[in-house]
Amino acid sequence: MAMATATGGPGLSGRAGARRMANRLALALSLPLFFGLWELVSRSGVVNAILFPPPSKVVAALLAWAESGDLAIDFAMSVSRVLVGFFAGAIAGIAIGVATGRYEFVSNLLTPVFQLLRPIPPIAFVPIVILWFGLSELGKYFLVFYGVFFTVWIAAHLGVQRVDEKLVRAARTLGTPEHRMMQEVLLPGALPYIFVGLRTSVGISFYTLVAAELAGTFAGLAYRIDISMQNLQMAQMMGGLVMLGLISAVADKAFSSFARRAVWWS
Amino acid sequence: MSGKERLSRGTAASLGTASRRGAIEIDRVSIIFGRGAKEFIAVDRVSASIAAGEFVCLLGPSGCGKSTVMNAVAGFEHPSEGRITLDGATVTGPGADRGMVFQQPTLFPWKTIRANVAHGPRMLGKSKAEAMEIADGLLEMVGLAAFADNHPHTLSGGMQQRTAIARALANTPSVLLMDEPFGALDAQTRSMMQESLLQIWADVKPTVIFVTHDIDEAIFLADRILVMSASPGRFISEIPVDLPRPRDAEMTLEPAFMEIKRRCAGLIRTETLKAFEQQSAALRARK
Ligand SMILES: Nc1ncnc2c1ncn2[C@@H]1O[C@H](COP(=O)(O)OP(=O)(O)O)[C@@H](O)[C@H]1O
Ligand SMILES: [Mg+2]
Repeated sequence: MAMATATGGPGLSGRAGARRMANRLALALSLPLFFGLWELVSRSGVVNAILFPPPSKVVAALLAWAESGDLAIDFAMSVSRVLVGFFAGAIAGIAIGVATGRYEFVSNLLTPVFQLLRPIPPIAFVPIVILWFGLSELGKYFLVFYGVFFTVWIAAHLGVQRVDEKLVRAARTLGTPEHRMMQEVLLPGALPYIFVGLRTSVGISFYTLVAAELAGTFAGLAYRIDISMQNLQMAQMMGGLVMLGLISAVADKAFSSFARRAVWWS
Repeated sequence: MSGKERLSRGTAASLGTASRRGAIEIDRVSIIFGRGAKEFIAVDRVSASIAAGEFVCLLGPSGCGKSTVMNAVAGFEHPSEGRITLDGATVTGPGADRGMVFQQPTLFPWKTIRANVAHGPRMLGKSKAEAMEIADGLLEMVGLAAFADNHPHTLSGGMQQRTAIARALANTPSVLLMDEPFGALDAQTRSMMQESLLQIWADVKPTVIFVTHDIDEAIFLADRILVMSASPGRFISEIPVDLPRPRDAEMTLEPAFMEIKRRCAGLIRTETLKAFEQQSAALRARK
């Protein structure tokens, strides 16, 4: 053994191979072990099986949810709220962010107000949103919008300011008129920063979605979680959590691969 | 250098109309940064007349105000005193008649090499097809035709700087301002770039102001060298370089080159000493 180590012979590569194999095995076993253990603990009677249902029951609840047709509706409602709120917040955030980033006048006018509102968690707005918008969809859009807007705004604002001044100078010596500087240099230059803000906002829009749906609605993934809790349908509730985690993860993955292609130069 | 064969006379001829324009007058220009106690004279009453089509090098130690002078000619800095004119018109801001190449390549990373070069013509209202044609001609000239569809980050530093030169020439500027454009390149690439710059200049014939702190580079390139001293930035000497053209790298080993270099170095030394003594005298007088 010592010999093999000293000469770097087959013993060493054999051991390295074994280690690699073990590492891969750990990765492959992670999820099955987790669910297996959960199933065992939950069926063993150590914990209350009603409060802590096994994964098999959660899967059954998910299937029943899908068969009833409610899953499709809940899914569509939640996704539409996230999409509308996210895109409205992103567009407004980018438009206003590049303006405050470039023009001191606009920045002086708006930045103090935004810095005042930005730290307020969107969830804290739920009561006021109910008063303003009732249980309408508009209130849901507003909350998601609120969560997304400030993050994207600050990313666009800083992004524009961090565009290399030399690029702007080069553009000017090439005859780029001031009114085209935004589109030709500042916006593309800020895009890598903007995408970081947008990606953070994907996560934020799901947080605020939960708050928005808990505030009162008639369909949605977080609404379903809330309702099943009231009916003590723990399996259904966990199914809701799984769905929420799943679409949030898919949205994040999809967005990051889109971002990699959109700002491939950074 | 492969650029020699790749040189497209056709493109050059179509760009060569700039030769009558590009005369620059720098008239007792001072540039002062800051105010009050923080006031700092970066450039102190410099004057120079640069003829249309001339190749002038601005030579001086780093921090002496070379970039500041360039930025004033480009229109990014405004003289605190004095005046800069281009073909009789006072320079008030940057314009497409003065192309600029910076030390770091400032290519737009999101655009292809071709789109980078086509940017200027596009901004001046040329159609996309026209702009692309101009870009392709220039890329041919700088030997980068094969890389037209690449993006800047896939190219070496030397290739990026060639692209930057092509881009600066795309609007057929009468003046080309180059601020230590080869400073970040290795010696081999730099010498190659100097040769191809001279070929491009010979064909297109813009007025060139080229900033460097390298005596060899200045002699190799210039018709005339303006030597600057530091604090405050002044033109302390003017050295004509009467070496024959076209020039190639071999020339730097010839006695004529060595002779000029010896004269230059001597001149710079005495002028620097003189400037230094003047400053010390002025300081003593103030005490
Ligand atoms: N915007 C500025 N504000 C204050 N000082 C400046 C500014 N730009 C340049 N300087 C100063 O002016 C002097 C000349 O700078 P520069 O022209 O960049 O020198 P060079 O290009 O010869 O190295 C330096 O001392 C530098 O610190
Ligand atoms: Mg400089």
